[in-house]
Amino acid sequence: MKRPGLVKAVLIVLFLIFLIQGGLRLYRHRHFDVPVVTGPGVTRVAHLSDFGPGLKGTMADTLVYFLDGTEPGGKAILMSNTHANEPEGLLAALLMLENAVVEKGSLIIIPQFNNSAGRNTRPGDGYPLYFEIPTDWGLKTFRMGNRDASPLDQWPDPDVYIHYPDRQLLSYIDARNVNRTWPGRPGGPLMEKVTFAAMEIMRREKVDVAVDIHGAETMFPVTNCIVAPEKSNRIATMASLTVKAKEGFDSHVEPSPAGFRGLSHREIGDFSDTLPFLLEAPIPFLDQPTGPKTVKFLLDGKDPFLLSLAQKKKLFVAYDASGWPLEKRVGQHCSVTLEIIRQYSKKNPDRSILVRDIPRYAEIVQNGVGHYFHDPSRAERDRIYPN
Amino acid sequence: MPTQIGIILGIMVLAYALAKARRLTVEISMFLAALVGGLAGIIFRTPPAGELIRHLVEGSATYLDVILVFSTATIFMAIVNESGGVNYVVRATIRAFHNKRLAALIVLMIIVLIPGALTGAGSISLLVVGAPVAMALKLLGISPKRAAAILFIIAGLSAAAPPVNIWAMILCAGTAIPYVGFELPLAVPVLICGVFTMLVLGWRKERSIDLATALQEMPKVPARMTWWRVLLPFLVFFGSVAAYRLFPFQTPILGLPLQFTMSALVAWLVSPHKIKILSLSRDTVKRLLPLISTVVIVGMLQQIMTATGVRGLLSYAVISIPLVFLLVSLAIIIPVSEGVLTYGAAAVLGIPLIWYLDSIGFHATVAIAGLTLLWPLGDGLPPTALIGRLSVMVSEYKGSYWEFLRTTWLPWLFITIVGILMVVYSAKLSFLVRWSM
Amino acid sequence: MPIIMIFYYLITAYLVVLLAWNFVREKKKTEDMALYLLVLIPLVLRILRLK
Repeated sequence: MKRPGLVKAVLIVLFLIFLIQGGLRLYRHRHFDVPVVTGPGVTRVAHLSDFGPGLKGTMADTLVYFLDGTEPGGKAILMSNTHANEPEGLLAALLMLENAVVEKGSLIIIPQFNNSAGRNTRPGDGYPLYFEIPTDWGLKTFRMGNRDASPLDQWPDPDVYIHYPDRQLLSYIDARNVNRTWPGRPGGPLMEKVTFAAMEIMRREKVDVAVDIHGAETMFPVTNCIVAPEKSNRIATMASLTVKAKEGFDSHVEPSPAGFRGLSHREIGDFSDTLPFLLEAPIPFLDQPTGPKTVKFLLDGKDPFLLSLAQKKKLFVAYDASGWPLEKRVGQHCSVTLEIIRQYSKKNPDRSILVRDIPRYAEIVQNGVGHYFHDPSRAERDRIYPN
Repeated sequence: MPTQIGIILGIMVLAYALAKARRLTVEISMFLAALVGGLAGIIFRTPPAGELIRHLVEGSATYLDVILVFSTATIFMAIVNESGGVNYVVRATIRAFHNKRLAALIVLMIIVLIPGALTGAGSISLLVVGAPVAMALKLLGISPKRAAAILFIIAGLSAAAPPVNIWAMILCAGTAIPYVGFELPLAVPVLICGVFTMLVLGWRKERSIDLATALQEMPKVPARMTWWRVLLPFLVFFGSVAAYRLFPFQTPILGLPLQFTMSALVAWLVSPHKIKILSLSRDTVKRLLPLISTVVIVGMLQQIMTATGVRGLLSYAVISIPLVFLLVSLAIIIPVSEGVLTYGAAAVLGIPLIWYLDSIGFHATVAIAGLTLLWPLGDGLPPTALIGRLSVMVSEYKGSYWEFLRTTWLPWLFITIVGILMVVYSAKLSFLVRWSM
Repeated sequence: MPIIMIFYYLITAYLVVLLAWNFVREKKKTEDMALYLLVLIPLVLRILRLK
């Protein structure tokens, strides 16, 4: 080689361009806050670390919003962004947070349940870093997160993850997946501390109903459904039948398998008196055989490959050229959550929960999700929280 | 949209072919394919122009932990080798088994199977015990080419062997199927295929060698070398792996890279002579460069393929194949996908494939077990050929890579048939899952 | 930061030093120079806590 010094200098410049351009974008994504305008129903805001040791000062700590009614009653907890690459859950929870008013009982909302995952990206999967939702006052930007917590917050992974307390062997990746670390323990890895703190909320606050909101691939058999263990099955079935009859969309009931450990719909029921429900809405963006992972696709759920596979009967949900837009996914989550709370309240009048001002499926499909978000620039400062 | 993705795929293949034609290395050619594919994608705003570098940089981090495992494990074994430990063990093995060929072959197979079975990575088997086993095989009269072939197949089987099978775990995590009941569906075929491989490739003596000559041919061992000096670092490694298995809630999660680092430090401290750890580490990293750079570039390639839709197109093409043809073509599709994407293949093809097979009555657990016998074969195929290249490296085979790969044809075919039959007859074999639980 | 995580940053830093050292000493093969820098990308990103 004639001039190794020059070649090296050129390579170093290219290296620095890659590092700075790519690295800064990833850094900004991790530290980007989405302003949330808390609605009139929010009565107090706590931190998850108030309920579990070892979370304070870590990226796993997250805000817990309490919406207490004027009358005493039952309590429901909603969690979203358990998997932060399933944003319909987050949007449904934020929509409720910004609008819901509780008249009886309490609603507890943790919109950013895996905060570390919500600030993490998914290497190898080519996601966009952000997506924008049109609102009545402009575009609102959200981070696209990852299924798992960031290794910047929990490192290293074990060679195999051993579930506590069942000792079931799970994939090493699942050590950073909060929907495998239930019921958690105070001295475990960070994600076990997260689920332990949530269990503590349910035990201390005597929570009646827990709803964990997700999205699932159209090729995944457990999609478009309510996953419920035996003890939640009656209410799930009633909710499913009611939304079908009254609102015209499907959300069937799937039994929570007793032999598969670490999941919210299994462990919450086994380790507390709370009735757990896990909601799945179809999110075509997460399927493997799809076109490019663009923001448009994330929002409208339209894909030619999935359409072709639907015609070959290889999907587990009805799928046509209209795709599976975000409004439908968020609308389903809101309606099913409200229906679960209503059915529980009917069965347990002494522990009933009365919530109003949460839009249902048809309204959200008609008005769009963004219609229900409030403009942070016009809101009182003390009602704005970073998400 | 399919046309647009097809064009990008064509450009990526062309970029790779042109780079190879200009005699660039596999790694650089793959990187150029990713870069050019990303640039072609920009035309269609998939990805948007400003995002290309971020995608490449983010993709590079996909297998960061694998780089750490490869590096620390290889440095650990380099220290053991430098201290004379490897020669010491091989001498003892040859002395004990030189006239009991079948027993020697089975013992060597089990030695290779254990580290991979415990960690889920065939590379760990090769990095930890590959060199001494290769030497032992040669002293049993087996040529370096056949020794490399044996190591490649058995290391692949070790990755598939229970308790830890990373392909199965990725599939289970992605399909929400519990990772339970895999012990017999994995152990039975792994042992059958392993014994078959040892007999086919190792039974014939290619040269006759008596014990005295064999021992003389081997490098001398330092006078102060003892069993405990050899065993202590391995005890630290296997002890820490076993401790987490036995007492998972009392043991902190150390992770493989730290476990190898601890073992390396112990090996360095108990070595009978002084080892220059810094220059040894530097040389090891130099030797590992093709492998660790492949891992980085595969992550980039995977990210670009997804952002442009190429990955989805390939996944769609596989899922759309009619069932009977699909089952037969698994013999090609699965290894080739591993050769291109390594573990990424399990997610890209495996997850939709298992959902599809499950929905038409196949037994998911047995089908996953069958598929995971086929994936390790792909670790010998270019462009990545991770395990194949490692096998060649540790066995010090100097000939053509294709010659080495051709030597594996019979076990390769046998494993392929076993794997596909397991998928086809998964429902009938479901008793293996029941017996495991 | 937990002590085990600190060890991981130290291991990563050690590898960064080895790779950088090899990059500096490499005088002939341009391709190897490029590969050293490519491998350095994820490792440096981790040390800087960017990814």
